[in-house]
Amino acid sequence: MYELIVLALGLPPVTAAASLAVRRRGFLKVMNVAASLTTCGLTFALAAGVLRDGPYAGGWLFVDALSALLLVVVGLLTFTATLFSASYMEAEADEGHIKPGLLGGYYALLQLFSFTMLAVLVAENLGLMWVGVEATTLASTLLVAFYFNRSALEAAWKYVMVCNVGILLALLGTILLYYAQLSAGGGGAPLSRAAMEALSGRLDPFLVKLAFVFILIGYGTKAGLAPMHTWLPDAHSQAPSPVSALLSGALLSCALYVLIRNLGIVTAVLGGEFVQAALLLFGVLSVAVAVPFMLVQHDIKRLLAYSSVEHVGIVSFGLGLGTPLALYGAAFHILNHAVAKSALFYLSGIIIQRYRSKHVMRIRGLFAAMPAAGTMFLVAVLAIVGTPPLSVFFSKFAIVAAAFAAGKPVLGAALLLLLAGVFAGMMYYATRMMFGTAPAGLAAARPGACALAAAGLSLAWVVGTGLYVPAALDELLTRAAAQMFAAVGGLR
Amino acid sequence: MEILAFLLLISAFLLTRTTRLSTAVHILLAQSAVVAAACAAAGWQAGETHMFVAALLTVVVKAGLIPYALLRLVRLLKKEREVHPVVGPNGSSLAAVAAMVLSYGLIERALPAVISRDAVASAVALVLIGLFLIITRRQAIMQIVGLITVENGLYVLGLSTTRGLPLIIELGIFFDVLVMVTVMVILAFRLKRSFHSTDTSILKRLKG
Repeated sequence: MYELIVLALGLPPVTAAASLAVRRRGFLKVMNVAASLTTCGLTFALAAGVLRDGPYAGGWLFVDALSALLLVVVGLLTFTATLFSASYMEAEADEGHIKPGLLGGYYALLQLFSFTMLAVLVAENLGLMWVGVEATTLASTLLVAFYFNRSALEAAWKYVMVCNVGILLALLGTILLYYAQLSAGGGGAPLSRAAMEALSGRLDPFLVKLAFVFILIGYGTKAGLAPMHTWLPDAHSQAPSPVSALLSGALLSCALYVLIRNLGIVTAVLGGEFVQAALLLFGVLSVAVAVPFMLVQHDIKRLLAYSSVEHVGIVSFGLGLGTPLALYGAAFHILNHAVAKSALFYLSGIIIQRYRSKHVMRIRGLFAAMPAAGTMFLVAVLAIVGTPPLSVFFSKFAIVAAAFAAGKPVLGAALLLLLAGVFAGMMYYATRMMFGTAPAGLAAARPGACALAAAGLSLAWVVGTGLYVPAALDELLTRAAAQMFAAVGGLR
Repeated sequence: MEILAFLLLISAFLLTRTTRLSTAVHILLAQSAVVAAACAAAGWQAGETHMFVAALLTVVVKAGLIPYALLRLVRLLKKEREVHPVVGPNGSSLAAVAAMVLSYGLIERALPAVISRDAVASAVALVLIGLFLIITRRQAIMQIVGLITVENGLYVLGLSTTRGLPLIIELGIFFDVLVMVTVMVILAFRLKRSFHSTDTSILKRLKG
């Protein structure tokens, strides 16, 4: 296990360094796709290892089912994003949107971004987790700004300011936790999760409550929970499409993961009710805030970004319910949303490149203009709004059903109503884009094989896990849900 | 320690009064030097060597590299200064005083058992004033200065409540801060090149 973790952590930065040194474009692509595929394989091997041998704990490193699930998400998305980049960024360079010489830098940043996310997931220590989350912001800021035009700079500046302020508040919360730990006489292993959980009976509840407020706001900012989500639509819409996919699917999930880990300590001290009420509140608020913006949105990538706010809200809602069913749903939903949303961002990237516009109203006749990508886009939209039998439906259904089962029918009904609004908005725009005649004068370029393969792979995953959840995946999700139950369920 | 806490409060107060970018960076430099001194002093009292390492790093990173990068940026901007802050210097100073009173009151209520009350209160005041600067100043550099002030405040808070985090986490934080400022300076250079200004109030194209 230890060797696997070190390899998975070591490969991306090495590839990053090599990407800066390599000049030949073809080799750059092949090397990065191969490296990301290997990283992805390593994360799957780690998950298999956790299922076989149980959680791994050694010094600063810790991997259990919950980390393994997120490792799989990051590994999978890194691979598809790199594969997608292989044709997409090439085309961007050919069309003159970026300087061809910057491609090496792009891959280097992408690998570093992936490294920081993996590091967050294998860290045992709450302090190191904070360092990792801050590093994800830094690695991704220049990726958000990558086109270096006015809008991209604006988005990157807002991203770095809002997330840094948020993450500094999380540091404040972390320092308070450490103070509570020291006051309780546990100076031996500072901010180690295991040490803090062992000590939880003696931590000062007031200090922990204070820390909880800052931690929830801080990491909540990074996770894109409303009302701290303001950076998200800007950053997601201005970044290159593969980066948007990583931000939306992997980064938001990682931030949620860190939040859950921190809340584990808080719940152990304060009990579950307080934590759950806060998560439910932010969850419903995030979905409610996203819906009106999605109904009037004209920028296709902003539409997808607000959809991410909605989905983070759904996961937070599931966490807040805190029942085993809801948490299974939340674990499954993190995975489903990541894969489905990344496919949507890839496909929107292909569409934008062809139509040379992000404006929903200017994209007509997708079926006629690009049958393969258009069909996939429709399937991806159907997936993200939760149409059976695609996997997102099942995780959404589990969470909504859990709300009714947990005796919160009003909240469940409110969520259903909001989801109906999302469905209407997304389907309206999707059908407008699908049908009709394509405008004359479309770019002649066909989407690259790598780009279509990346989107197709993600969609195959969504369709496949919707029809049939393999035993290993089910086991991983069940165990991850059990970890979440220990963290936010509040029944210790 | 009381004197150092007092100096920190003064630096934060002065930051609310200045509208000249280079002055602000110099105040920040002085503030970081005080933080380093506080770190060394606390390390001396506790007899812990790892705090001297942290003090040295503070000097190198926060009183050296970061001000250097910011001053280079200021020189490039020539005559730019904070012309229309959302809240003027007098209002900001009033807010700063309010923040100080608030943080002393907060410490009294929230953490009565803390030994070095002045240090903790000044740290909280630094965090609040830093956040205030970020919200009310429009110049990119002033926002970066505000961010570092928040960071300094958090650092002193950690120092005075817990004798600082373990060295490996501390190193991570220093590295992050350094990269953070580097990234933001790069962005500010690009803002200047694209918009001919680093006044962030022009950033309002992305909406809805």
